[in-house]
Amino acid sequence: MSTQPLDPQTLPDHDNLPDNAYAYCVRLTGPLFMQTGRMIAYYPSGGGTIRFEPLTATSMTSMVASHFSSPLYSRDWVVANGQGHVILGDRGYDINSYDLDDGNLTVRAANLLAFDAGLELKESIIPGFLTLLGTGKFLASSSGPVIFVEPPVRVDPEALVGWADCPAPAQHFDAGWMGHFLGAARSAVLGARSGEERQYDFTGAGTVLLQSSERMLEDPHVVRRLEGEVRSLGVDQLTHLQGVISAQIQQHRQ
Amino acid sequence: MAGWRLESPRVLVVDLDGSKGSAVRAATGSMVAYEGDVTFKNAGVGGGGGFRAALKQRVTGESLSLMEVTGRGTVHFAVGAGYVLVLDLAGDVLKAESEGLLALSDSLRTDVTFTGLQGASSGQGLFTTTVTGHGQVALISLGGPPIALRVSPATPLVVDPDSYIGSVGRLQQSFVTDVSWRNLIGESSGEAFSLRFEGDGVVYIQPEER
Repeated sequence: MSTQPLDPQTLPDHDNLPDNAYAYCVRLTGPLFMQTGRMIAYYPSGGGTIRFEPLTATSMTSMVASHFSSPLYSRDWVVANGQGHVILGDRGYDINSYDLDDGNLTVRAANLLAFDAGLELKESIIPGFLTLLGTGKFLASSSGPVIFVEPPVRVDPEALVGWADCPAPAQHFDAGWMGHFLGAARSAVLGARSGEERQYDFTGAGTVLLQSSERMLEDPHVVRRLEGEVRSLGVDQLTHLQGVISAQIQQHRQ
Repeated sequence: MAGWRLESPRVLVVDLDGSKGSAVRAATGSMVAYEGDVTFKNAGVGGGGGFRAALKQRVTGESLSLMEVTGRGTVHFAVGAGYVLVLDLAGDVLKAESEGLLALSDSLRTDVTFTGLQGASSGQGLFTTTVTGHGQVALISLGGPPIALRVSPATPLVVDPDSYIGSVGRLQQSFVTDVSWRNLIGESSGEAFSLRFEGDGVVYIQPEER
């Protein structure tokens, strides 16, 4: 553990802080997209300041519009601009930097902390995940160190951090569980889930990024995405949904 | 002052030689093991700071619950598996949140000071406990390994109040409530202000926000 004080001269330009996997320092050289609430400190340099502008009220509208293609997440991101060092931390998660060279990588939205303007962000077809395209650096966090595996592989959705270069995963349901599900459907009684029956199935060439823990946050965006889809439902469907939700709430309260 | 060491990043070990100079005050309930002839006694009102300190603490909510540890032996201290940060004070002023104090030399004085009156939702940074004198003090960081950042007149620093642990030196602390910072905090959580430090000193932060 290092308690030697750091300053702008000794802080790394683009690296984890010494002996500290949970904090990362970025020296601003151009616009940096950052998720809100992930910055723990900053040094403005040369008497200047660092501006943090919301995407909805930025002075660089066209730059932002061309690099951030996700209305759903735009309220949770800012653009940092100026000179200085920015230190990021994320709930005590390990933070890693990744380089993309004309590539693509999809990462869990809650785990993506920042990316530079060389990259373009889009929403993944899998809810709760974001895709980065282009050439540049980005920062992502993981609960424990990241594990890299190659397809074909089936992974627990909660352990998934992201994937690169391979096709988006398909959902796979355990054959034994499916058998039970189909049998149970006939008698209209649904068995309890083990939590392991649903997996993501990766095929093709590429890399899958996993974290060693299945601890997961409630992602507010999943709710927002569902909200968006509720609008297209009719009254009967809404009433049915209301029933399902109240049943779920009842179950949670027990 | 000898006798203070970290057995692991999360456990503080203090050797007591029976002299008054080696005595420490530590957070109540922070002793995890000891050997030798050591006595633990509630430091009394105001964490040993006297009646005036107790009154201030009652009013401000900076409650400081300390015990006096004296005698001859070796004592292990730890709280919530937090990382321990040991600082040597040589006449400097340490400002910290009271809940972040793990232990301090008996020779050090503690007090409560008011740092500002700007809408702090969690109370972080609004009142602060100051530690002054010559001796050693141990702070606890419950959110990962602590980070020390130097502040000089040429390099002011801005810190998220939720990750702030404490600061040492001649520092002017101000609240920044600019729109720019508000943008940085999610809509549902976090502080609407940040702490700006100028002057000469060191600021300690933790990677995980409270």
